Amino acid sequence: MRVFWILFTAEWRHFKAARGLVLLTSLVLLVGLYGIYYGTTEIGRQRQHLAELPALAHHNVEELKTKFPEPADAGEIGYYHTTFAVHHPTPWASLSLGQRDVNPYYVKLRLLGLQGQLYASENVNPAKVLSGNFDLAFVLVYLFPLLIIALSFNLLSSEKEQGILPLLLAQPVSAALVVGAKLAFRLALVLGLALVLSGVAMLWARVPLDGRVGLWLALVMLYCLFWFGLAFLVTGLQRNSAFNAVALVGLWLVLVVLVPGLLNVYVSAARPVPQGIELTVKQREEIHGGWDKPKTETMNRFFALYPQWRDTTTIKEHFVWRWYYAFQHLGDQSVQPLAVAYTDGLRQRYELVNRLNWLSPAINAQTSLNALAGTDLPTHLAFQRSATRYHDTLRAFYYPYLFRQVAFTHADYAKEPTHTFTSSSEISTTIRGLGKLLVSLGVVYAAGLLLFRARPINPR
Amino acid sequence: MTYILEAKDLRKQYPDKLALQGLNLQIEAGEVFCLLGQNGAGKSTTINLFLGFVQPTAGAAYINGLEVASNALRIKQYLAYIPENVMLYPHLTGLENLALFSSLAGFKYKESELLAYLAQAGLPVEAVQRRVGTYSKGMRQKVGIAIAVAKHAKVLLLDEPTSGLDPKASNEFSELLRQLSQQGTAVFMATHDIFRAKEVGTRVGIMREGELVDVRPTALLNANELEQLYLHYMH
Repeated sequence: MRVFWILFTAEWRHFKAARGLVLLTSLVLLVGLYGIYYGTTEIGRQRQHLAELPALAHHNVEELKTKFPEPADAGEIGYYHTTFAVHHPTPWASLSLGQRDVNPYYVKLRLLGLQGQLYASENVNPAKVLSGNFDLAFVLVYLFPLLIIALSFNLLSSEKEQGILPLLLAQPVSAALVVGAKLAFRLALVLGLALVLSGVAMLWARVPLDGRVGLWLALVMLYCLFWFGLAFLVTGLQRNSAFNAVALVGLWLVLVVLVPGLLNVYVSAARPVPQGIELTVKQREEIHGGWDKPKTETMNRFFALYPQWRDTTTIKEHFVWRWYYAFQHLGDQSVQPLAVAYTDGLRQRYELVNRLNWLSPAINAQTSLNALAGTDLPTHLAFQRSATRYHDTLRAFYYPYLFRQVAFTHADYAKEPTHTFTSSSEISTTIRGLGKLLVSLGVVYAAGLLLFRARPINPR
Repeated sequence: MTYILEAKDLRKQYPDKLALQGLNLQIEAGEVFCLLGQNGAGKSTTINLFLGFVQPTAGAAYINGLEVASNALRIKQYLAYIPENVMLYPHLTGLENLALFSSLAGFKYKESELLAYLAQAGLPVEAVQRRVGTYSKGMRQKVGIAIAVAKHAKVLLLDEPTSGLDPKASNEFSELLRQLSQQGTAVFMATHDIFRAKEVGTRVGIMREGELVDVRPTALLNANELEQLYLHYMH
């Protein structure tokens, strides 16, 4: 232990003397802090938008009260009244934005057909989407491995190339202890950095102090250990520093760029998802076609779904709102199989990626962190289901006014249901991710140990 | 009798070359054994086998009665090594390098003691606090000597240790070896320098193509005779 500590502290002195590495480590620290700022700012912006929505809805109600000062037809109100289905983030979302930048975090809803509204969202800058999020998870998953490579590519080759190793190993010090102390120092440095950044991010985001803190730290720690394991494995080949650097950067490219790219292509081909435009066109055709269909046919189809309204007054007028909303809803019903196929397809793709993410610990870590932060696809789909249920509730609220032909008074606005949905962490996905990382870790370290055992270190 | 350093039928076969063929050698405490031979004769391989840096194909090397191959770590408590070209951590000073290597060897010296070892090795006082990156080869060699001396080893393994030293420093090193030998340290030195071998050695061995072809006590030869003997084997 004494010798280990001597080697460990010596590594600190070597590190301090290597200005390039000090600079790089400082840069990663700054980049990590920027990632925290980026994530918290983005979630802060989303929270601010969500906080403004009740005021917007209230303003809309006030406008309607002015427009309709007397009790009015609920159909008119349902047509003009805007309400919102809102998706509140967990505090963890600041650390790992996941899909919160591409999927809408609120849906503006009227009493019209749902499907046309569910996918309507603000335009986002496609160039920004292409570049992705620069949150803490990005820094940890994609940039930390590069820092680990820069710190560890010459783990032993440096001493060998400088000619120090023979003198070092002529002391009563085993090569394994030298490698172990070097790895331990780098590990302490990188994990310390990851811990500081995670701690700052958690404090800034005010995450609740529960088991998820441990899960986040365990994921980050195992992921960093995996990359150190790769450095250990490559060191075991006992090649020169240039070879080690090229091999490790090559592995980074394979695991962080190539495998995710290929996996994306494979998953897209293996789990085709119906085009969203197909769904939109079909729904619009159905709704627009509704104007030309006999009202009796439309209403009979609607009453088959909602027999409780069958005994309401027969429609004789050219236009009535309950008929209008009936064919709006039938438009939704007509694309229901497509909508289900679309969300099922997305879920199947997600599940396939989750099954295959052992191929790339980077994907595994990213999906696990997103699941922990509640910013992954299943969370978004859960929000969509919640928004759909909310739309059903809205319809259920308005239908008695429409079918019983009850006038909508100013007091009724306050009775309208509201919606809220808050992400929750997918702990089981995170724990599965941890398990896979542990297996990856076991494989690389076992391979490294076998290599060192098969080829004892030659100091020359 | 337990020899400080011993080789029994020690053999090293590389894929393309037989580097050492059946070396048998015993060196006692206080003895200075100088191994002469051309480049590639097997001198460095012999040292590497005693250091445990390479594994023998057959036979065994012993340090202080312990087989090197199966006691790789323990035997290093008993030996010190000075390579032909001592390389140290360039960003540390000579003093810091000596402190680091001594602490790895299990010695914790005061600064005054470290300075004394460096002075004994002949390193100028003004250089001890300078980064080793600014040192000449000879100065690094002197720090290497200080590291070896500070280890108080039973065996000194030296591979062309005076390479890079000026004649004065070489003489001082020879004197140091004599002192250590008188204190009971066994010295095994691979060298090309016949005159240095004659000067400090108690025995001299000549190695050719991995074989120890002759061993003589230096007391029975003068420098010229040793040179003639060496040349005889080299032709």
